[in-house]
Amino acid sequence: MTPSWRTPAVLALALVIGVAAFTWPFFVTSGAQLNQLGHENDASLVFVVIMALLVLLLLAELTSGGADAKTVAVLGVLAAAGGALRVLSAGTAGLEPMFFLLVVAGRALGATKGFLLGVLALLASAFLTAGVGPWTPFQMIACGWVCLGAGLLPPLRGAAERWLLAGYGFLIGLGYGMVMNLWFWPFLGGSAPDGAGFVPDAGVTTNLGHYAAFYVTTSLAWDLPRGVLTAVLVFFASGSLLRALRRSVRRARFGAPVEFVEAGYT
Amino acid sequence: MIEFRDVGVSYPADDEGAGATLALHGADLVIPEGELTLVVGPTGSGKSTLLRCINGLVPHFSGGTLHGRVLVDGRDTRTHRPRDLADVVGFVMQDPVASFVTDTVEEELAYGMESLGVDASAMRRRVEETLDLLGLADVRRRQLRDLSGGQQQRVAIGAVLASGPRILVLDEPTSALDPVAAEEVLASLHRLVHDLGLTVVLAEHRLERVIHHADNVVLLESGRGERSVSGLLAPAEAMLTSPIYPPVIGLGRALGWTPLPLSVRDARRRAVVLRERLGAPEEAPAVDRTGAEPVVAVSGLAVRRGTVPALRDVDLDVAPGEIVALMGRNGAGKSTLLAALVGQVAREHGSVRVGTLDPARAKPAHIVRQVGLVPQDPSLILYASSVAEECAAADTDFGLEPGTSARVLERILPGVEPTRHPHDLSEGQRLSVALALILASDPRVVLLDEPTRGLDYGAKRRLVSLLQELSAGGHAVMLATHDVELAAEVASRVVVLADGDVVADGPVRQVLSGSPAFAPQVAKILHPVRLLTVDEVVDAAGAAS
Amino acid sequence: MAGSPRSPRLLHPAAWWLWGLAMAVAASRTTNPFLLALTIAVVCWVVLERREIGMTNPLLPFLLIGLFAIGLRVVMVGLLGDAVAGRVVLFRLPEVPLPEWSSGVRIGGAVTLEGVLVAAYDGLRMATILVCLGAANALASPRRLLRYVPATLYEAGTAVVVALTFAPQLVEDARRVRAARRLRGHASRRVADIPRLAVPVLTGALERSLDLAASMESRGYGRVVHRTTRSTRLAGLLTLVGLTGVVIGLYGLLDATSPTALGIPMLVGGLLCALGALAVGVHRDDRTHYRRDEWHLPETLVAVSGAVPAVVLSVAAAQHWTGLVPPQVPAALPAVPPALAVALLVAALAAVLAPVPPVLAQSRLDLRAGAAAA
Repeated sequence: MTPSWRTPAVLALALVIGVAAFTWPFFVTSGAQLNQLGHENDASLVFVVIMALLVLLLLAELTSGGADAKTVAVLGVLAAAGGALRVLSAGTAGLEPMFFLLVVAGRALGATKGFLLGVLALLASAFLTAGVGPWTPFQMIACGWVCLGAGLLPPLRGAAERWLLAGYGFLIGLGYGMVMNLWFWPFLGGSAPDGAGFVPDAGVTTNLGHYAAFYVTTSLAWDLPRGVLTAVLVFFASGSLLRALRRSVRRARFGAPVEFVEAGYT
Repeated sequence: MIEFRDVGVSYPADDEGAGATLALHGADLVIPEGELTLVVGPTGSGKSTLLRCINGLVPHFSGGTLHGRVLVDGRDTRTHRPRDLADVVGFVMQDPVASFVTDTVEEELAYGMESLGVDASAMRRRVEETLDLLGLADVRRRQLRDLSGGQQQRVAIGAVLASGPRILVLDEPTSALDPVAAEEVLASLHRLVHDLGLTVVLAEHRLERVIHHADNVVLLESGRGERSVSGLLAPAEAMLTSPIYPPVIGLGRALGWTPLPLSVRDARRRAVVLRERLGAPEEAPAVDRTGAEPVVAVSGLAVRRGTVPALRDVDLDVAPGEIVALMGRNGAGKSTLLAALVGQVAREHGSVRVGTLDPARAKPAHIVRQVGLVPQDPSLILYASSVAEECAAADTDFGLEPGTSARVLERILPGVEPTRHPHDLSEGQRLSVALALILASDPRVVLLDEPTRGLDYGAKRRLVSLLQELSAGGHAVMLATHDVELAAEVASRVVVLADGDVVADGPVRQVLSGSPAFAPQVAKILHPVRLLTVDEVVDAAGAAS
Repeated sequence: MAGSPRSPRLLHPAAWWLWGLAMAVAASRTTNPFLLALTIAVVCWVVLERREIGMTNPLLPFLLIGLFAIGLRVVMVGLLGDAVAGRVVLFRLPEVPLPEWSSGVRIGGAVTLEGVLVAAYDGLRMATILVCLGAANALASPRRLLRYVPATLYEAGTAVVVALTFAPQLVEDARRVRAARRLRGHASRRVADIPRLAVPVLTGALERSLDLAASMESRGYGRVVHRTTRSTRLAGLLTLVGLTGVVIGLYGLLDATSPTALGIPMLVGGLLCALGALAVGVHRDDRTHYRRDEWHLPETLVAVSGAVPAVVLSVAAAQHWTGLVPPQVPAALPAVPPALAVALLVAALAAVLAPVPPVLAQSRLDLRAGAAAA
């Protein structure tokens, strides 16, 4: 049997690695081994490999209790809903409706199942849109965090929960873009515009400044509306959807006790 | 082959306030090998529970307590989970689409064997055999969702059959199918029992389709708090006391025929004398509708779905108080016509007027005051988390006085608890709720798309009387249906569509009794006497004697 | 004709993905616009010749995003200036005065030809990599790779298969529910109406998912993948050790003061442990596979044809051949090293070496029949 501390421990380690994989450009110190890897792109490739393996490991670990057919089917269907939303909204700005679903479903499923859902939903959407690439593992982990966070928020109910989730929706709408730009930002290397590119030996403050310039000029215009839209969707729609999802999860009777009695019912 | 030893199933109280429930009680029977056993009972009598006990889904999957023992081919379900019985019992769900794991025919057939670890060459051989056995070879590479309903259900059967089980359990395999598709599926089942000697256990609402195939019947009854499971009965014996029965049995029971004929052929032999006695009854005078202003006026309507013409030049007038049954094959254009009447499809040419407006141009909020449609799956229009909330939402939607919808619902479905979740209701109750919401705005025209899918006879009877009440109140009713018995019972007029054309339009008696495909059982038994329902025959026989 | 190398069949998906990834690696080694254009041409030709036909061609969105990447890069350089000290000034944008602390960042100012060119080359490289990945998606649907997930990922893989099966149905459901909404008098597109769309679709889908679970359970799902306490424990231990190793390795890589042994060796060790966890998580896997794609000579040839340019360009980059990076200042047309061009052309052989996919073969037959009839 899986000891109860193992899953949180693995998730915590994964969090550290994930954060490092996204934000290493700010932490790398001058003269570190990573900067000596040679070609500037190779540092990014190292992290692509690490993230891909991390995703597989997390999927294996979180289902290693032998996820039963119900869990697999429910996760599969919710992931399909997420993927379908991404396909449907591919013409527009992109991820808002999917984030809305992930926040609400992550909330209903709880942290661990939620994390799995985020990862699987993004993977399914990548398959559906035939958009698999080195960015996929980064997106999967980031989406997993989105759901994990929704599951870990304080257990409020009613209107307070709506405000809480809407605020969270706004933050992740903004934050997702901020984090996802990071994985390829160093990849742009010195060829990015002056003052907005990654400079390997320049230290934290310069690089943070450069990244801020890069972010504000390139993706803020997309991320801000995304954050607002996610928040608005969550605020108006989370109440009844959350009720419906919670009911469905209850009805699924995960791990319902099974009993056998020799004698007939009297 | 399958042994129930004093089996009961109970579920503990849950935190939603529902008390401990007893889903099955006192099942004590042995189902013999190589025979087709039919499980008969009204909705909620525990048919599904009984079937799910056979492969251990109850209680391993559902939770709850299993009392007594179920032995399948010598294996005890207490120690064998459903997956451990996968090579002995094949279990087929009502909705085949919901049971598909993969998306092409071949992969779906192989899925079960892959999870059982059957080796590749044996797997290949069995897939081929199964394709032939169920007549699926032509569609082997097709996407599952592009198949017809009958093909999908046959794939679902093949998918469990390929693993080589000796027992096949099917939970209402034809309830959602049209008559042609149902016939395909039943013919396949018949072959499996007769050629391969499989043991088949089957639950089905539409008894008229299966009763003559059955070797044995198990009757389930649920009175007030009481549940009982009969032993194994011969079909004719079971039908004498069964609370639900098809028209052919109804006729036999009403006329006191023994032994009870189960098929139209047997009944026709018994009815020789009756037919002579009834002779040719005088034609009922046609209802005079010339004075009434039609409330639905369709002329020259043509609609395309993609590149395929779905309706071509349809003309149709419906007067208030008429009940029109739209009949025809799947894809003949029935649903399209209904959709056109509520302005859901763009028309190519022609005109449609419903009440005082043109649905293609009017706003939905105005349309609902003239015409209401209950879709094939009523849950599509239900989204609130309780019946009361649903009614309140309908009141605000239609701008009605609060409480109107709830009053309508109380009239057509008395006693439904307002706190129930719409999805927890039975199919019949759900249909009533959807109908109540549609009726709340008091539309002059009421449309129903396949209202009897999944309804048992009791629910169907309630629907019939409700529709008659609506018609008496001056509403025009149109229903698209495959159910000839329903049409015979309730419709005043039948319109048959084929390939987008109206091929027959006339009074119910004239259209139904003359048609080999659409004749109800009673009409087939009494042909050439033009009577359609059991009640009519009983009345006529009483008058004749 | 079955089994003949020329008869239509689908190539093993892994072969196409290896080919596509190798092409992406090759593209990442150069910014020479001629070599990049050649890469795109080769990739597009192979896709045209050997794509696995789905409903849409996944290459198109990748091409569009690639164009967008080039445009974005050029615009950014225009706005923010460039890192190369260009000599030919195309035009000047008004410069926005920025406070002192934003040293290094400037907005507006002179736009030089050299700066624009460098940005365009770099954007083109990004676009080429995207096109290579898009080609992999078009040549072999990634979902076919799902069949090869190891037993440790059995549950997760099944969930993805379920998701891919259900998604089109959900899109269909959403359409039906949207149409049905009108029946209750709704036509507005307000945000508050979203639950009316989402709730019926999701509740319906979740209810069906329980049916699906019952069906999977009755069909033997999970019966032959054996997990023992020992194998899960070992996998858990390896996971923890591996992840810890990766964390320490990353620290070593990022921090200059840490000893060398803490960096790459720790990282590699951690990754190996993680791979080990994936391998031992299951005690025994008795699943079998129906019509598994087989690996024959064409698969090897395709993979090798992709690897040739990747290896040649990587070696060239490591040895700083001329022609890989076009001269920046002053701007001049780069030369095309013939050896590199030939290496890239080798990858085009895949279009001939791989068998034709059945659907494409059929549609070509139909076309030919149509032409003959006309």
